[in-house]
Amino acid sequence: MHISDGVLPISVTVGGYIAATALTAWSAHRSNSRDLPKLAVVTAAFFVASLIHIPFGPTSVHLLIPGITGALLGPSAFLSIGLGLLLQSLLFQFGGLTALGANTLMMGIPALICGWFFHKFKGDSMMRQTITGGLVGAGGTAMAAIILAALLFTGGEDFLGVAKIALAAHVPVIFIEGLISAFTIRFLARVKPELLELSFKDPAKDTHA
Amino acid sequence: MKLIQRVLLIGLLWFCMAGIPCQLLAQAPQENESLKYSDDVVQLIKEQNSKMSAELRRIQREIAALRADLDKPGLKDVFSGIGYIFGLFGTAAFVASRKKE
Repeated sequence: MHISDGVLPISVTVGGYIAATALTAWSAHRSNSRDLPKLAVVTAAFFVASLIHIPFGPTSVHLLIPGITGALLGPSAFLSIGLGLLLQSLLFQFGGLTALGANTLMMGIPALICGWFFHKFKGDSMMRQTITGGLVGAGGTAMAAIILAALLFTGGEDFLGVAKIALAAHVPVIFIEGLISAFTIRFLARVKPELLELSFKDPAKDTHA
Repeated sequence: MKLIQRVLLIGLLWFCMAGIPCQLLAQAPQENESLKYSDDVVQLIKEQNSKMSAELRRIQREIAALRADLDKPGLKDVFSGIGYIFGLFGTAAFVASRKKE
């Protein structure tokens, strides 16, 4: 799910860049310097996840994992996704450089919402964390597809038609993503539960990266 | 002598008269045969042409597939990206640690 060069009008491209830059700055501001190794690992995972193709019927789909990124990183997820998408567009030619702002918004905003949702509802039991993780994984991809349709709508496409096509194309991804997110979160909750806690909860400490 | 000359002349005439239809007779089937041969040759060239164009199409398809493969990110890109990410975050951690000191 990437927007290519020349699809969006200039106003949306520039606006997307400004909004993405502002959110990235906010995200970097909210990140704790002690979290940098975790940030690096999750960013690398996000960067590589789009290369994992899962055969599905006649076509194959690839993972997006905005949900897991958001759940693991919270507010820092936007920074991580911005960097991941920048490198993907430079090295893999996924999405154009001019559409990078819009692409970052498309993947980053769902990640932020997923992070907030996960930490609001994850509770203490592993079962609940697994279910929340699955919901977050599926919801993140669905939200990204909806934002994709909204962005394409600004380019003059018929909004409802494109939204339907985008959502229909991503239904298998949403399911697979939900399953993989649930398994990942369950595994992390069992093996390293502190990864699922965010360390910036105490704003009295120095949180500047 | 005159008789011999006359006989020779008549003989020559006869020879010529016999030679022309002979040549005609000899030429006619040759033309037919060459026509037959040229038909065969045209057929052969056509067959070769169709074979060549089929081969060309196959090669073009292969080139398209190769180009699609080239567009796919390779292992090099993946590792360079991961390296960039770790490097950038490492630098950020270094700067952050210096700030704290």
